[in-house]
Amino acid sequence: MITALTGTMTLAFVATGCGSSSDEPASAENPVELTVTTFGNFGYDDLYAEYEEANPGVTIEANNIDGSANARTDAFTKLAAGSGLSDVVAVEEGWLGSIMEVSDQFVDLNEHGAQDIKDNWVDWKFEQGTDPDGRVIGYGTDIGPQALCFNQDLFEEAGFPTDREEVAELFGGDDATWETYFDLGREYNEATGKAWYDQSAFVWNSMVNQMEEGYYTADGALNVEGNEAMRAKFDLLAAGTADGLSANQKQFDWGKGKAFVDGSFAVHVCPAWMLGTIQEQLESAGGGPETGWDVADVFPGGASNWGGAFLSVPESSEQPAEAAKLAAWLTAPEQQVKQSAAANNFPSTLEAQQQIVEDAVPNELFNDAPYGAIFASRAEGVVAQFKGPKDSVIQENVFAPALKILDTGSGTADEAWNEAVKLLNELVVNN
Amino acid sequence: MTTTLNRPAAGAPAASKTAPTFRQRLNVFDVKASPYLYIAPFFLLFGLVGLFPLGYTFVVSLFDWHLLKGQGEFVGLRNFVEVLQDRFFWNSLFNTVSIFLLSTIPQLVVATGIAAVLDQNLRAKTFWRMSILLPYIVTPVAVAMIFANMFGEQYGLINNILASMGIDRIMWMNETLPSHIAIATMVNWRWTGYNALILLAAMQAVPRDIYESAAIDGAGPFRRFFSITLPSIRPTMIFVVITATIGGLQIFTEPKLYDPRSAGGTARQFQTTVLYLWEMAFQRQNFGKAATIAWLLFLIIVLFGIVNWLISRRIATTGDAPANRRLRRAGLTTTRSGK
Repeated sequence: MITALTGTMTLAFVATGCGSSSDEPASAENPVELTVTTFGNFGYDDLYAEYEEANPGVTIEANNIDGSANARTDAFTKLAAGSGLSDVVAVEEGWLGSIMEVSDQFVDLNEHGAQDIKDNWVDWKFEQGTDPDGRVIGYGTDIGPQALCFNQDLFEEAGFPTDREEVAELFGGDDATWETYFDLGREYNEATGKAWYDQSAFVWNSMVNQMEEGYYTADGALNVEGNEAMRAKFDLLAAGTADGLSANQKQFDWGKGKAFVDGSFAVHVCPAWMLGTIQEQLESAGGGPETGWDVADVFPGGASNWGGAFLSVPESSEQPAEAAKLAAWLTAPEQQVKQSAAANNFPSTLEAQQQIVEDAVPNELFNDAPYGAIFASRAEGVVAQFKGPKDSVIQENVFAPALKILDTGSGTADEAWNEAVKLLNELVVNN
Repeated sequence: MTTTLNRPAAGAPAASKTAPTFRQRLNVFDVKASPYLYIAPFFLLFGLVGLFPLGYTFVVSLFDWHLLKGQGEFVGLRNFVEVLQDRFFWNSLFNTVSIFLLSTIPQLVVATGIAAVLDQNLRAKTFWRMSILLPYIVTPVAVAMIFANMFGEQYGLINNILASMGIDRIMWMNETLPSHIAIATMVNWRWTGYNALILLAAMQAVPRDIYESAAIDGAGPFRRFFSITLPSIRPTMIFVVITATIGGLQIFTEPKLYDPRSAGGTARQFQTTVLYLWEMAFQRQNFGKAATIAWLLFLIIVLFGIVNWLISRRIATTGDAPANRRLRRAGLTTTRSGK
C-alpha cells in the first residue's frame, strides 16, 4: 500500500507534453470524442444525447462523480499529474479559488467567443469565472440563491403561520434579520421543545456568504482573525445553538434523510440546489409531499448565494475548440432551462431565469411552491463574494470542527472561536 | 537415482586435466545465471513501481511543493522538522496505533480460536470453512456503509437498541475511543476469517499422531491446544502478525468511509496517518509535507518490521538451531549442494 501510494504520487509527476491540438471542426468524416466530468446531480444526460444528435461526428464520454468534494480531489490529482482531465470539467464555486491559482492551466474562453455570449449571464456569475488577468476560464451553469425552507406541520404545532407568504412576513420579509431568525427559533423551541435548524455549519456558511467580504478580503488577504463583524455573527449563532436550537445532525447525512421526516428541525437554509438534495433525502427516508416541507421567499440578512458551478476546458484538452463549443452549448439559456428541470437547480443566465419564472412549474414536493419565482426573487441583490484559494479548507477544516464544538455543547462561543483561529493558523497561515 | 546436475562429476577422469569445452562452460553459466533471470522480472517491476517512487517521494519531501502549482524551492529537512512538531501528525499516529491494537489483538485471538474449532472433525467442514471467508469477499466500501449505518449516533441500530434498554447513546463519531472501536470492528469483521483460514492451514499440517499420544497420556483438549497446536503453528502466527501490522499501520479505507465527508472525523477523532497524508496532499495541497508524512510512515513501518523480526527470530528458532550453528562454525556440518 505505501509503495502503491508513493507509486501513484510519482506517476503523477511524469510530465506530459501539451497535446498538439489538431483542432479541425468535428463532422461525420472527422469524428471527435469529447469527455465531460460532472458531479452530484447535474441533469445533463439527455442534453448529451441531444448534442450528439445535432452534431454528427461528436461522441460524448460522460463521467459523473458522486459529490463536489470527490470531484475536487479528482480534478486536483489530475491537474497535479498534468494529464487525465477530461475536455470539459465542472468546477464548484467553493474550490474555484484554488483553480484560479492555476488559471493558466485552463483555456481562455475569450479565444472561443466568450465575449459574444457574455451578456447571457448575470454579471457577477460571469465575473466569478474570470481570472485577474481577464481570462475567462469557466462558463456558469447554475447559481445558489438562498431561500428558507420550513416545515408546515411543525410550524402549525408551534402556533406559527403556515402559508409561505405569511411565513415570509413572519421572518420580516425584505428586512429579515438573523436576530429575528434566532428569536423565532427560541419561541419555537419553547412551544415544542424541539430544535430549530439541523446543525450550525450550514447556517454559518449562509451568514458568511452574504457578507461583502468573507474569509478573504477582495484583494485576497485573510479576513478572519480580528474580524468584528464576523465574530458578531458567530456569537449570534453560538447563542442560538446554546439555547438548544441546533439538532446536531451530521452534515449532508441527516440519518440518511430520516431527520427530514421525524421532525428533528423545522427550518433549513435552502440555496436553490438544496431542494434537489432534500428531495433525494426524502426519497431515501421514504417521505413525500406529506412531510410538509415548503419554501418561503425570504432569507435572514438579505440576499445570499451559496454554491453553483462552472464548466471549464483544461489546456490539456486536445480539441479545445470543440470542447469550448460544447461547454457554451450546455450553459446556454435553452439548455439551462432543461438542466433545471432535470436537476432542480437554478440557472445562471438571465433568459433561462425568466423562462423558469414564466413556466411557473410548481414543485410538488414542496407544497407546489413556485420554484422559479421564489428563486428569481432571491437572486436579486446577490453580490459575488471573492473566494480565496483556501476558502473550502477554511469552511470544512477550520470552521466545521469549531462549530461542532457548539453543536455538541462541549465548549463556549469563545472556546469555539479560538479553536477556529488556532486551526486557521495551523492549516492555512503556516500550512 | 542420482541427481542430474550438468556438472562434470567430481573425480571424473575426463575433466581432471583438460580445459572445459565451450559447451561445458555454457552449461555452468546456465546453471549459475538462470535462477537470476527467472526472478529478474519481479525485481525490475519492484524497482519501477516500488523503489523508484520511494526515492522520488523522498526528493519531493525536500521541497516546498504545492499540489497544483508544482515544485517550489528546496527546503532540505524543514518539512520533516515541521511535521514532527505537528500535533495532528502525532494525533494521527496515536489513532493509527490505537485502532491497530483494537483490531489486531482481538482479531488474532478470535481467528486462532475459530481455526482450532475448524480443525476438529466437524460435519460439513468445507461449508464452515467457506463461510468464515465470506466477510473478506465483501468489498470494504459496502462493509463501511453498513457499519457506518449501524454505528450512527442518532439513527443507528446499535444506539437505538441501547436507548430502548434505557442506556445512554454512545457517540460513535464524535468521541475518540468509541469511533476507534467502531472502525476496529469493521477491520475485524473483514480480516478475522481470512487469518483464521491461514492459521487453519498451519494447524492441518501438525501430525495427528502427536495429538493421539498426548490424548493417551491424559492431556485434555485445552492442554493439547496450548502445548501442541500453538507451538507448532508459530512460524505461521509470526507471518500473520507481521502482515497484520503492516496492514494495520496503513489503514485508510475504513476510517475514510466511516465518515466520507471528513478526513477522519470533524475534530480528527479517527484520523489515521494515511488519512492525514491524504488531507495534507488533497485538501491542504502541501505535497512536500505529504511526501514527508509518507516517508515517516515508511520508516515507522520498517521499525515495526524490524522489531517484529527480532522477536520472531527468538521465537521461531527450533531447539536444536543453536547447536547447529556451533557445529557449522567448527566446520563439522556439510553444506548441502545447490545452496
